[in-house]
Amino acid sequence: MELRSYIIRRVLLLIPVLLGVTLFIFGIAMLFPPAQRATLYVTNMRQLSDLPAIIQKYGLDKPFFVQYGTWLNQVLHGNLGWSRAISMPVAQAIPHLLPATLELAIFAVPLIVLVGIFLGTKAATHKDKPLDHGTRVVAILGWSLPSFWLGLVLMMIFYGYFSGLLPPGRLGVQMDILVDSVGFARYTHINTIDAILNLNGPVLLDALRHLILPVMTLSVINMAFIMRLMRSSMLEALGKGYILTARAKGLAEKVVVNKHARRNALIPVITVSGYLFAGLASGAVITETIFSFKGIGWWAWQAAVMLDIPSVLAFALFTATLFVVINLLVDILYTRVDPRVRLGGAVQ
Amino acid sequence: MEDLVRIRDLTVRFHTYEGVVYAIDDLDLDIRQGETLGIVGETGSGKTMTALAILRLIPYPGKIESGSIVLFDRSLPGGLELLKLSEDKMRSIRGCKISMVFQEPGSALNPVYTIGDQISEVYLLHQRQELGRQAKRRIDSLLGNGSTLAASIKRPFWRWQSRLYNKIAEGSNPLEPRILSHIPLFRRLLWRLKDEAGLLTVSMLKDVEIPDPDRVATLYPHNLSGGMKQRAVIAMALACSPELLIADEPTTSLDVTIQAQMLELFRRIKTDKGASVLFITHNLGVAAEVCDRVAVMYAGRLCEVAGVEEMFLHPLHPYTKALLEAVPMPGKELQTIPGVLADALNPPPGCRFHPRCSSAMPMCQQERPKLKEITKDHMVACYLF
Amino acid sequence: MSDWRFTARQLAKNPLSLTGVIIIAIFIIIAIFAPLIAPTPAGQLNSYMIPRDGYWAEPEPPSAAHILGTTQGQYDIFYGVVWGARSAFRVALVVMSITLLIGIVLGSLAGYFGGVLDEVLMRITDIFLAFPWLILAMALVVVLGPGLKSVMIALIVVWWPSYARLIRGDILQVREEDYVEAARGLGASSGRVIIRHVLPNAIYPALIMASLDIGAVVLSAAALSFLGLGAPEGYADWGQMTQFAQNWIVGPLDNPLKYWYAVIIPGLFILFFVLGWNLLGDAFRDIFDPRLARR
Repeated sequence: MELRSYIIRRVLLLIPVLLGVTLFIFGIAMLFPPAQRATLYVTNMRQLSDLPAIIQKYGLDKPFFVQYGTWLNQVLHGNLGWSRAISMPVAQAIPHLLPATLELAIFAVPLIVLVGIFLGTKAATHKDKPLDHGTRVVAILGWSLPSFWLGLVLMMIFYGYFSGLLPPGRLGVQMDILVDSVGFARYTHINTIDAILNLNGPVLLDALRHLILPVMTLSVINMAFIMRLMRSSMLEALGKGYILTARAKGLAEKVVVNKHARRNALIPVITVSGYLFAGLASGAVITETIFSFKGIGWWAWQAAVMLDIPSVLAFALFTATLFVVINLLVDILYTRVDPRVRLGGAVQ
Repeated sequence: MEDLVRIRDLTVRFHTYEGVVYAIDDLDLDIRQGETLGIVGETGSGKTMTALAILRLIPYPGKIESGSIVLFDRSLPGGLELLKLSEDKMRSIRGCKISMVFQEPGSALNPVYTIGDQISEVYLLHQRQELGRQAKRRIDSLLGNGSTLAASIKRPFWRWQSRLYNKIAEGSNPLEPRILSHIPLFRRLLWRLKDEAGLLTVSMLKDVEIPDPDRVATLYPHNLSGGMKQRAVIAMALACSPELLIADEPTTSLDVTIQAQMLELFRRIKTDKGASVLFITHNLGVAAEVCDRVAVMYAGRLCEVAGVEEMFLHPLHPYTKALLEAVPMPGKELQTIPGVLADALNPPPGCRFHPRCSSAMPMCQQERPKLKEITKDHMVACYLF
Repeated sequence: MSDWRFTARQLAKNPLSLTGVIIIAIFIIIAIFAPLIAPTPAGQLNSYMIPRDGYWAEPEPPSAAHILGTTQGQYDIFYGVVWGARSAFRVALVVMSITLLIGIVLGSLAGYFGGVLDEVLMRITDIFLAFPWLILAMALVVVLGPGLKSVMIALIVVWWPSYARLIRGDILQVREEDYVEAARGLGASSGRVIIRHVLPNAIYPALIMASLDIGAVVLSAAALSFLGLGAPEGYADWGQMTQFAQNWIVGPLDNPLKYWYAVIIPGLFILFFVLGWNLLGDAFRDIFDPRLARR
């Protein structure tokens, strides 16, 4: 019961934040002259040929809040404008490009979380031993890497030096044609999943081959972060009184670490994972750009360079909304995971 | 009374960045069967370390350097040298034959698991065979009674379970649940064991006088008050009917009124369970209430051991006397012990207490006084005797 | 403050943090002595533009004339990375100081006075923090037009909410301390109390964070420059130089790593710069975290 009212309350609180986000984005858009803002309202390139009519129709010279109202209204109706960067309505662009980014996320997130937690636990249980020092150095190094540089270096080695072993892009030329042909059924537009569903080995392998470098680039930096966080969280948990109790009960060390310590150590890591998503969303822009991996991150960059306002704004709106929703989910998950925290109250 | 635990020449040292600390220095101590022995001393006297040494839980950078701790179990003639046991065997003793209750019940309990879970854990760990036997008995009764359609479908499953629990009852660890438990859906395969453990848990909670034990078992530590938490921790320690219960300042963090209830509980443990209790405290009043014998420690060494009445009526060691003098009494001026606690890194030579002792003699600085029996069952380590 | 001396001593003991300090010191020296290490050619007005030795695209390998080679468009790499250090510090210091200023002012007002002011600030920061940093920065640079100034403004906008919140939190804590009540009891005005008593104690952690975030600021600025949204072409900026290298990751078939210097060197400078600050930051965290104190 209480959880439900908490969720309802949080969702309701979400609305003013999202409204604020839209207002903020619109405010940024308003800094542009009407002519450039016209693409915010059109869904068809031909309409752009008659600017004065558009300005008249959408009231691009009216006061701020009137325009905000018009814009918000049409956004809620699904019209996000026209994207010059890829020549299609923004509302179409997002579902068109999202699967690629999702594919990256599907591989990167488990990798980041599992490797980070595993190494962090190991570092904590082997504190001050070579493994701990080693992982610490690797983590700080990983955390200091510029992701764009890492991507370039990886490409230099695995695409350049090992001529074409792990190429950029989502698929090789042949496979690319294959997946768009009639013989290949498209369910999710996520290449790896579709390949599995189509029982098509070569496509799957090709897709994976193209995924390795971008996923690595995206993951390494975040992995380092989670690893350090997990380590310090584990160390804190291992110093607590209940660990001594568990040992005094005669439990094997493995059980003490995995059952008693880790469960507690994971709690702060879970809460931080919401911010992890923000890091991924930002990282995706760079990674997708470098590897020509045509997802929404790549689109955002194209749009930014071309001053394609509707795209940039839609991307910002999309990621902000997603981020806020994910944080809400993480908060709810937090209440399930830590018995001390219920509803929105303070931790006892 | 026979000895339950015999500690001889125990030395525990801590190798810290700043130097070597003798937490326990050549300690000889006996804990007798069925008695409540109190260890009294200030912080840093080594009383907690003694407890941890018995359980071999001395934290890094400490190490048990030398000595012997022998456990005389009824089933083991000749005694068991605890310091030479393998870690596996030691673990079977921890929580089972020797268990411990800590000072802060709040931090002794894991906040993410229920009280019931944490107490059941002890049963599942140490009394698996008995639980297996019980579970088998229950399934067998199901097999005998079931005549409905549902029962006949479940029959083969029950028969398999019965065989499983039989194996557990005989002590072997059957393969199937071990493998299958790694698959989330099958983790509940041995749920009957958990159920049986749960029943024992509830009865244990009842034993330590926790009201509404069925409900309390489903609660989390933060739902309970300090006194209740401490009772739960005691229940956890008593689960397997240990021979020795070590209680490290169990009442120190509780309200005075709860303290009184807790001491009553400890007295009952002695009479009902017949277990020996090693009761560690810095509070002489509490020691007087609950203990049969009292040992006084200072700076890692034993000063005096005697029966509780004898100790309080005829204290011999200057430190003991000073401690008793220092107990606040209405109408009396507050007495303190002059000087400061012995420096752990550079302790005073000879008798550790001599810098603060009003009866110090030249030979007190030279060599450490040995423990001598002065009157029946009353031992002191002091050159005055 | 004996705090500083203790901190300094702890830092010196730890080999990792010592390495960090040395790295940072080296960069500071490079930045300060840039005009001596890589002198600007006579007649060039803007020292931050990298001198060009020709106009053809293909990068030239390291030689006597160009110690670290040239990148696309014949911009001297050595000059670029040396003055890039200066540029990096410039961006970082500007962004950090203004962010701190805004954060301190808004954070202390919200934290000290609480109530509606606090709520409003929290909601506003919520909105800003709802955006992944790069996306917000990108949107702002798009609006403001590409260039280092826009990047600096964008980064300030991205960073100030975290600092405002941090300072607000510290102020909330310090506000309840006894000496603040004492000051108030003695009749000090709110302003006086804030400035003389609350701020000095609340700022310390924020200052630490700010100095450690310098690495992160430079990393973000480099990312934006890399994406073409920051420093203009030919500017001595590590990120911008990496962007040049994008076309030269793979050389001809017989020598794929031919242009390694153009790709690796600028990025290496970024890496070491950020590494230095992160090593320092990691050491600080260990020092200030009592739970992880060594025996």
